[in-house]
Amino acid sequence: MTVQTHPHETRDLRLAARQGLLPARGSGWLAGFGNLLGKELGEWFCTRRWLWQLLIWLIIIDGFVALLLFVLPVLASIMPALKPTAEAAFGGLPPEFGSVMMYFTMVGIAGTIGVIILAQDEIIQEKQSGTAAWTLSKPAARQAFILTKLLSNIGGALVFIVALPGLIALGEVFLATHQLVPLAPFLAGAGVVLLALIFYISLVILLGVLFASRGPVLGIAFAVMFGGTILKSFFPQILYVLPLSMDGIALMVMQGIPLPAMFISQVIAAAVLSIVFILVALWRFQHIEL
Amino acid sequence: MDTPYNPVIETHNLSKAYKEVQALQDLNLTVKEHSIFGFLGPNGAGKTTTIKILLGLIQPSGGRATIFGQDVQRNSVEIRKRTGYLAQDPRYYEHLTARQILVYTARFFYRGPKDLIEACVQEMLELVGLEDKADRPLRGFSGGERQRLGIAQAQVNYPDLLILDEPAASLDPMGRHDVLEVMEKLRKYTTIFYSTHILEDVQRVSDTVAILNRGKLIAEAPISELLAGDGCSAIYDVTLKSETAESITDAQGRVSGQPWVQNLSMAADDGLTRWQISVSDDAAAEDLLLRLILEDRSLKVKHFGRKTYNLEEVFLELVGKENSK
Repeated sequence: MTVQTHPHETRDLRLAARQGLLPARGSGWLAGFGNLLGKELGEWFCTRRWLWQLLIWLIIIDGFVALLLFVLPVLASIMPALKPTAEAAFGGLPPEFGSVMMYFTMVGIAGTIGVIILAQDEIIQEKQSGTAAWTLSKPAARQAFILTKLLSNIGGALVFIVALPGLIALGEVFLATHQLVPLAPFLAGAGVVLLALIFYISLVILLGVLFASRGPVLGIAFAVMFGGTILKSFFPQILYVLPLSMDGIALMVMQGIPLPAMFISQVIAAAVLSIVFILVALWRFQHIEL
Repeated sequence: MDTPYNPVIETHNLSKAYKEVQALQDLNLTVKEHSIFGFLGPNGAGKTTTIKILLGLIQPSGGRATIFGQDVQRNSVEIRKRTGYLAQDPRYYEHLTARQILVYTARFFYRGPKDLIEACVQEMLELVGLEDKADRPLRGFSGGERQRLGIAQAQVNYPDLLILDEPAASLDPMGRHDVLEVMEKLRKYTTIFYSTHILEDVQRVSDTVAILNRGKLIAEAPISELLAGDGCSAIYDVTLKSETAESITDAQGRVSGQPWVQNLSMAADDGLTRWQISVSDDAAAEDLLLRLILEDRSLKVKHFGRKTYNLEEVFLELVGKENSK
């Protein structure tokens, strides 16, 4: 290692130059928040991750919408046996609504699997590698650490899973049907599926705080998702609590159909549980030894 | 306002237990401002546990600690604003470059124009000699380079307190030398609290030393006191020359007969006789030992002095005593 010696005068000049810098903002819960959030958002938007995420979700979500709007009708015209399948694919809805239903379904299923996989490592990896201990040896609050993980994942899901594929889906619908999907109801529906994603992101962040390995985090999150889907046939009451029909609710909201009590409860429960998960994660992370 | 000898770190009966393991037991330490405080101990002695408690990364089971007079649990963020820390096995985000790591670190402390932040980072890169590797991703860095980066990120805010956990452990002799040089340079600006098991390094740069064993503090003193053997039994080295063996035997009888002499070991070498006399009363030995020997005027004393220890001897004796309890 080369250690350079500087005369004291030079050091004093450098120190003086630093006087142009101000102490970082934020204290209490918000100490280090801006810097942590900048780093987390940078991981999503300033690395190649954005490109991969964009490609993955455009192919998965908008690919299915395109399949429905462009490929199935062509196949049905070539192979008449496929005609009933092509008609049933829209669920008896006009093509513009049927396509949006496919978008909501894909965000609800593939998007949920995606956010679980993307968020599962956020806390575990930092705890295991020691980077959490390093970061939190700086003036950064533990609450800010958790909140920025949450916000960056929500931001990533919003942009790459909900907003951009949604925009493309609307374009696809217009190209195929020359019909404009009403924007405000569509956004309200997209908000509902986004809420489902927020629920799972919050759950996975909490599990990442509670457990030391990835197994339980993935296992419990997928158990809630797939187990809930199976269980709802036997115990439909869980639909009051778990966000298992959010794609259907999104479509109803978009169509302006009044929601039954069970679905209203499901939306409220998803919001309330997300907040509870994060509050528990914040409280528990305060006491974790790094 | 701080005076030159204000305590920077104080711990009061600080303890930490993990289920059945007592990692730290009633630790009472005082680290004074602008000192280089060596925190010594074998592996598993509780050094890293103490450091992590001081940084708020883990919580004590009992007792309390303050840094800059602030409680480490209640005011951890405020304390960390004035502290730099290098972990024993520093881990950073592997995909970032050294420069990005330092910018990220600096932004926890400063806000302002980007070029000033960059200048501050450049200065740190120069301090540790990483300018030419600053823009390479960290995953290709060697252990020594990571350690240098560790020192740079710990120093980026010009901390009032620098906490270094085994800063030279993974370095080659040259790297160790450089790290110690940086520490000596920084002494006038900051207080350095560092843990290590490399005794040679401690002896070279520390002014105060604490020795920890099995979670217990077994010695804390300025290094000069420890090396004088204040923590150990006093031993006097005497080298004699005599024409006759009887003179030596008589002198040995006179000395051994004193109640404060615990042991006298003798070795002959090249016409000289060497004694090592272990005493229980240092004051009596200082006053009487030489006189007793010189009662026989035919004896020539070639060397007489209290044995000075090196840190390794002090450490081994203290830890050995503690382990045998």
